Amino acid sequence: MTFSVSRRGVLGFLAVASTGLAPVSAAWAAQDARAFIQSFGEQLVAIVNSPLPLAEKKEKIMPLVSRNVDIDGIGRYCLGRFWKVATPEQQKHYLALFNQILANAITDKLGDYRGVSFTIGNVTRSGDDDSVDATLIRPQQPPAAMQWLVNSSSGSPKVVDVIGEGASLRLTQRNDYSSFIARNGGDIDTLLRALQKQIDHHNTASAQQ
Amino acid sequence: MISGRNGAWLRPCAQARQNQTTQQSTRRGWRPAAGRLGLAMLLASTTACSAIKAPVPKDPDELAEYKAANDPYEPLNRKTYNMTMTFDKYALRPVAKAYVWAVPRPVRNSLGNMITTMNEPSVFFNDVGAGKPRRAGDSFVRWCINMTAGLGGFIDVAKMAGYPHHANDAGLTMANWGISSGPYLFLPMGPSSLRDGIGYGIDQGLSPWNYVPRGYGLLSFNWAYNMLGVIHGRSEHLDDLDALQRDALDPYATIRSAYQQQRKAQAEAIRNDHRATVPAWYQ
Repeated sequence: MTFSVSRRGVLGFLAVASTGLAPVSAAWAAQDARAFIQSFGEQLVAIVNSPLPLAEKKEKIMPLVSRNVDIDGIGRYCLGRFWKVATPEQQKHYLALFNQILANAITDKLGDYRGVSFTIGNVTRSGDDDSVDATLIRPQQPPAAMQWLVNSSSGSPKVVDVIGEGASLRLTQRNDYSSFIARNGGDIDTLLRALQKQIDHHNTASAQQ
Repeated sequence: MISGRNGAWLRPCAQARQNQTTQQSTRRGWRPAAGRLGLAMLLASTTACSAIKAPVPKDPDELAEYKAANDPYEPLNRKTYNMTMTFDKYALRPVAKAYVWAVPRPVRNSLGNMITTMNEPSVFFNDVGAGKPRRAGDSFVRWCINMTAGLGGFIDVAKMAGYPHHANDAGLTMANWGISSGPYLFLPMGPSSLRDGIGYGIDQGLSPWNYVPRGYGLLSFNWAYNMLGVIHGRSEHLDDLDALQRDALDPYATIRSAYQQQRKAQAEAIRNDHRATVPAWYQ
């Protein structure tokens, strides 16, 4: 009996403490998310705008991205309801392929941008994440508004999604993958084969260049 | 099946079974035949429906996904999508590529400006419909400035004067009225929904160019304007669509998802636009 009372007391104390702390920590998290995107963005733009040759840029950008983006988390999200169904080997294989595909997608874009800059706007709370408004300014093109979703639950802030023109990258990707798997009889191996094919295709295409 | 009011045809037929006369028996002869034909047609239409409508999944996770996609007519939509993409591959895309090849960028920009400006009346009416006076004012001013100082819309003077273009259409207006999108539809002109498809029709009605009287040479202008609009619009998305078709495993599902998210975000952006109508210096 004494145990249950003390447990209730402890829980009550925790509840009060957490409600009192919540607004403070949320405000802190918003500042934190803004500073995080500011610094990550500046490092990205510095590499993109640098006069280095493309191959060197590619080498420099990937460690930066994997440090600041929760690639495995995004990968899990993209597999959606099939993540639970996949065997541990399939999960591992899938994440390896997903990492490679994301890296290809980023490095492919590198050559297109030069002389870019960005500004950061509001930070709002969206579910468990902080949504940071940013505007990408490219020469001779209309400015592109985007939102970066930052999650800090793992201890350090990480990018979990990018929303461009209202469409979430990870949600769109998830719908692509899950529709593909569903249309192939729910077989995850088909997805893995298709992803491998994409990577092979990319490698041969870049080897020809 | 019940061809008479309140089934009046059926009751005499039932009586006819008891006291059979030649006349009545002939009548009974064609009625069941008509009934069989009706039944056959009904069956045929249900089988046709099953090709149009996707079966509703039983598994809860799958059901959640089915509901999120909001695409009960997926089989029909996929057929339209495939047809549209085939047409695009062999007709629209090559024409759009040729257009990009033949027409230099500045000229294309001017044509794009003209197309945007000439659509401004429809945007204006929708801004009014959505109850957004500031946006309506912007599109009205854009129309006035660009049609005069912008030489019939070829130069986007209004943008330089601080009135950039914003998109609006009847689908978004209805979204702001709280009308939900209805099921997703892939129409020959692209991804849409029941609401946005109806909105497309309304927009055609709101565009003054469809009221151009015949015999002024303006009708041929109208044709040229609409066709140029399609080709120019396609030419702006050559790289995007190529990349999508190369990178997506199921381009249909990717387009569906991106379209639905974008429409939602666009409607949200209009709803959250609470800018004042008075100029900044007055506040």
